[in-house]
Amino acid sequence: MLYLFMEDTEIPKLAPSDLCLDKPAVDMSSAEKFLERSMALILEEAVKRATNRSEKVCEWVSPQQLQQLLQLDLGDTGESEEELLQRCRDVIKYSVKTVHPRFFNQLFAGMEPYSMAASFIIEALKPSIYTYEVAPVFTLMEKVVLKKMIEVIGWEDGDGIFNAGGSLSNMYAINLARFHHCPDIKELGMSGSPRMVLFTSQDCHYSIAKAAAFLGIGTKNVYTVPCDERGKMIPSRLEELILKAKKEGAQPLMVNATAGTTVLGAFDPIEEIAYICEKYRLWLHVDACWGGAAILSKKHKHLVQGIHRANSVAWNPHKMMMVCLQCCAFVVRDQKHLLQRCYSSNARYLFQQDKFYDVSFDSGDKSIQCGRKPDAFKIWLLWKALGSSQLEQRVERALAMAQYLTQQMKARQGFRLLMEPEYANVCFWYVPPSLRNVPDGPEFWNKLHKVAPVIKERMMKRGSLMIGYQSHGDKANFFRMIIISPQVTTEDMDFVLDEIHSLGQDL
Amino acid sequence: SCHVLDLNEPIIDHAEGQLFLNEAFKILMEEVLCKGTDAKQKVCRYEEPEVLAKILDLELREAGEPHEKLLQRVRDVATYSVKTCHPRFFNQQFSGVDYHSLAGRFLSESLNTNLFTYEVAPVFVLMENEVLRALRFLVGWTEGDGLFCPGGSTSNMFAMNLARYQLYPDVKTKGLWSLPQLVLFTSPESHYSVKKGAAFLGIGTDNVILVDVDDGGHMIPEDLEEKIKSAIAQGAVPFLVSCTSGTTVQGAFDPLDRIADVCEKHNLWMHVDAAWGGSVLFSKQHRHLMKGVERANSVAWNPHKMLTAGLQCSVLLLQDTTNLLKKCHSAHASYLFQQDKFYDVDLDIGDKSLQCSRKVDCLKLWLMWKAVGSSGLAERVNKAFSNVRYLTEKMKKTEGFKILNEPEFVNLCFWYIPPSLRGKELNEDYQDRLAKVAPVIKERMMRQGSMMVGYQPLGNKVNFFRVTVFSPLVSTKDLDFFLDEIERLGRDL
Repeated sequence: MLYLFMEDTEIPKLAPSDLCLDKPAVDMSSAEKFLERSMALILEEAVKRATNRSEKVCEWVSPQQLQQLLQLDLGDTGESEEELLQRCRDVIKYSVKTVHPRFFNQLFAGMEPYSMAASFIIEALKPSIYTYEVAPVFTLMEKVVLKKMIEVIGWEDGDGIFNAGGSLSNMYAINLARFHHCPDIKELGMSGSPRMVLFTSQDCHYSIAKAAAFLGIGTKNVYTVPCDERGKMIPSRLEELILKAKKEGAQPLMVNATAGTTVLGAFDPIEEIAYICEKYRLWLHVDACWGGAAILSKKHKHLVQGIHRANSVAWNPHKMMMVCLQCCAFVVRDQKHLLQRCYSSNARYLFQQDKFYDVSFDSGDKSIQCGRKPDAFKIWLLWKALGSSQLEQRVERALAMAQYLTQQMKARQGFRLLMEPEYANVCFWYVPPSLRNVPDGPEFWNKLHKVAPVIKERMMKRGSLMIGYQSHGDKANFFRMIIISPQVTTEDMDFVLDEIHSLGQDL
Repeated sequence: SCHVLDLNEPIIDHAEGQLFLNEAFKILMEEVLCKGTDAKQKVCRYEEPEVLAKILDLELREAGEPHEKLLQRVRDVATYSVKTCHPRFFNQQFSGVDYHSLAGRFLSESLNTNLFTYEVAPVFVLMENEVLRALRFLVGWTEGDGLFCPGGSTSNMFAMNLARYQLYPDVKTKGLWSLPQLVLFTSPESHYSVKKGAAFLGIGTDNVILVDVDDGGHMIPEDLEEKIKSAIAQGAVPFLVSCTSGTTVQGAFDPLDRIADVCEKHNLWMHVDAAWGGSVLFSKQHRHLMKGVERANSVAWNPHKMLTAGLQCSVLLLQDTTNLLKKCHSAHASYLFQQDKFYDVDLDIGDKSLQCSRKVDCLKLWLMWKAVGSSGLAERVNKAFSNVRYLTEKMKKTEGFKILNEPEFVNLCFWYIPPSLRGKELNEDYQDRLAKVAPVIKERMMRQGSMMVGYQPLGNKVNFFRVTVFSPLVSTKDLDFFLDEIERLGRDL
């Protein structure tokens, strides 16, 4: 029971001796012991067992049951060490094992020990990366990682920052484009200025809409460009929309091209889009949060051909590169301190100009965040461990695995591909035997629409596998397999097909 | 074509990976948690950026490195990083360490998941819900809504967005173009994220109207009333008052009850930025500082500050029960928030946030709370106040130290006046010379690694130190040391 603080209760006065100020309030040796025991538990249960194929991917219980099992409520008094360790055990048990080799549900998966070790170090050191004085090592590391990304993209120079999510990176891009176009908006705001319009594909990430709302631009001023049958933005339709916006008297501001869409894994044709942006002088942002890793592979970098012509890029190493969440980079092709000018507020308690070191190393004023975690360290340590050559190998393997799955699927009855994958998304329908002779038509699709949700429920309750499903446009619910982890083998791909069939054959 | 042979075998060796994790953990226990909390060890090992870059060998190359080399790198990172857990790190509004929250953080990292749906994070969706409920209860609300955000700045910006949306729901779709000029009110001592938010949200920093503060840094409600009336007379539309419980530099608490009166009168959203000061709500002795908070529409609170939960741990709490948060932020992405799931889809809370991926930040606080109870957390808050009182009293009796104001919270702001300047207050160049003292002492303490404390100017006051005392690892010995060290470092100036 939580203690009730009531206004008219007598407030006891505390004598200084009650508080024992002479000693620290934390018992160090028992605290360290707790830490060692909980770490041993974490390594055993959350890391070792969780990556074992003979263990479950998830331990499904209903929300009501889970509420009771976890005993979540927060009370007045503390618990014993044994009880706390049991709580840690329970948290692990009922959490989904996203590191499991059969977790294919999201655009992140797998266990990456180097970035995890880096995460642990970050947690222990507990830094905030706004100034060099408080986080010297991590400040330098972030710079080096951003520089490497800029080099790999193909820019001569640039700027950037790591922030709390790809959604935020996309917001940064829109805000920068707006500031670049009209710097006065930072002070004056937007009411009274002409209506600005953004362009993006109909398959882009939903953070573009959220960003437009948040930044005061309005979701109606995001014009969506139709995609072709492979999920790619159609450049000629983009140009039409730009002209339409101009005719309306609006100001086209920015085009968001997606490198690796969320559902289909499609890559917008960046080169052609860049040409249009240059023609109409629009800011080109490439949301490569998911597909950015393709650039590390000589074999697959053609997917992002033209990316060097972008003004800004968002790239999330916490996706294909398996770095622990979060790890999101935003880079901008600019050498005139645009990020700094756009975001700075020159807070004097943090960014003093009379410090004894070169204050240009204080990166905090480029961000909208104040306290900020040094996420770049996670990718730095991983890169040091593997080098670009092994990172490349991993990307190529993931895509090769997607091709293997595709081929197996084509050879099997009951599986229907949406389209040939060009990245790591394999989208398909499972057609149970009962529907295999039904002709294509509304009846077939309505029935098929109900299949994936049931199979999903069954796989989660069995705990054998996790794959996402969704409808898309006018297409009935289909599965979306995402292949990332180098721990995954062809055996796992075969298992996926067998298991889906096993779970759904009676439907 | 794919090389089937290669694909049959995993290319990650988990046994090796786990061994690496084990070894890395041992290093960080030794270097960061043992040495890093030992008063006899240094707080920091300062190096110039160019020198540090060489030592760390930062370059990212084509080839990878063996484990021994990587473990050495881990050791280097620990050596050259600032020990923010150290009992003599007084530089920021976060410091110290709580081992239960640390275990919670390691656990969050290893489970590596996002909080957007119940299916991917069942434990944490329920846990976040409970933690928010418990924090709302302390504010004085038995119902409401809320979210963990990636920082207090984001919490403040979300509140701004909500206030705008409530007044003009159409702004979500139509944008600001068609609206009259919106204005918001805050004090000049509020956190800079209010201004950054105004720029980011398209409102414009010129439309952040600064309300006068008194000598202690508290917003003056009468002036707030005046400024609101004046804005209305000029045709602007006030929509938000962002007041502060625990200002960044002075630790001042704005008078919430009287501000609430003004907000209610003019029907304005009242947001309380309690990122720093919110934790007083745990303490029976000190929660009066936030009297009236239950009348606010929203409260930002960062347990990673005074409660040492570990970055990031920031919440936005709302009194609203009409699902405003979700309505304001949602985009209904059909690939994530399918409506035909087999469980109650209200548990998919992702659409309340502007983030898609969102880290689990509640476990660290929950585990710590389970470990020590709200009474344990209250004790820490009380101890922090007592520590500051101890330091203040001692400082008053020590020559050469001049306090700005009697601390209301756990920020103690003061000047150190070296012997050469004592008694010379009336000299023409006194202020200029005094302004140069703190930066030099700061440089010296960092190069020697003995301590870290921040300094800054404020208004027309020249550089002064701001010491924040709240870490559960700090004792009176450290506070005695603090005064001696400042004296030692600066007496020859």
